[in-house]
Amino acid sequence: MLIPHPLLGLRDAQEFSYLGDASLLDRPDGLAEKAGDAFFSYVYLRENPAGVHRELWFHEQGDRSWLVVTRNTVTHEILGAELARDVALRSRSPRERGDPA
Amino acid sequence: MPDLKPITALGGDTARRLHHGALELEENTELALASLALRRGATQPTLCGIDLPGPGAWALSDEIAAFWTGPDQWMVEGQNRADSDFASEVAALCPGCSVTQQTDGFAAFEIRSSAGETPILQLMAKLVNIDPIRFPSGSATRTGLEHMSVFVIRRAAHHIAILGMRSAAGSIWHALEKHILRIEDRKP
Repeated sequence: MLIPHPLLGLRDAQEFSYLGDASLLDRPDGLAEKAGDAFFSYVYLRENPAGVHRELWFHEQGDRSWLVVTRNTVTHEILGAELARDVALRSRSPRERGDPA
Repeated sequence: MPDLKPITALGGDTARRLHHGALELEENTELALASLALRRGATQPTLCGIDLPGPGAWALSDEIAAFWTGPDQWMVEGQNRADSDFASEVAALCPGCSVTQQTDGFAAFEIRSSAGETPILQLMAKLVNIDPIRFPSGSATRTGLEHMSVFVIRRAAHHIAILGMRSAAGSIWHALEKHILRIEDRKP
């Protein structure tokens, strides 16, 4: 299986290690109300789709970047990959990104 | 004072060499290394005339070279500078960047061919899961070599360098030696 690294091109999946669902990027706020419920689902509850799935892969024997890889769990077709850093920064507010407000 | 004697990564007094057929393998004991990382929002510095290279690339200027290791991160190489405080020289050239001494963390091995690039391409095909055709001179990448994490640098068409963990220097040498002997012995 080859993973299309956004910076380095096609790389063997053996160079990567798999973490899991890309929703792990959205860590709940521990100080919010009902943080316990939010953390329960964050830690324990996962979708298990037969089909397209977004997941985190770590390029351990490479540039040590985290990727969000979109993969079809039925056919193992890789539909795309992007840097997890870019995905995380997109979903945060400008202040959290360190941009001047 | 105790009489202390410096040894190489492979434990010898001098760099270990192997010459077999067209290929020459040499432990590079004189290579100084420093990692360079940009802080968030910092501008990219220029190092002794080198434009810091992009993903998968290696750039050289006189005795200083640099290759890309990750987003906003590079490894800087100084040939024949291993006994100097290389990291502070690099830090002085790159104000505001994070520079860390790496010389003693890695062992470097240089492989040269006296018969053009063909033996180098054959050796790369055996050693690493990188397409050698799409890895021209001026390329550098981190990849796996017999389950060890190494940097591979194509310094020239007939010259590659392997940088790996210093603690695994003996295993890396063994892997390189084994494949060089096999390739050269298989020739008709």
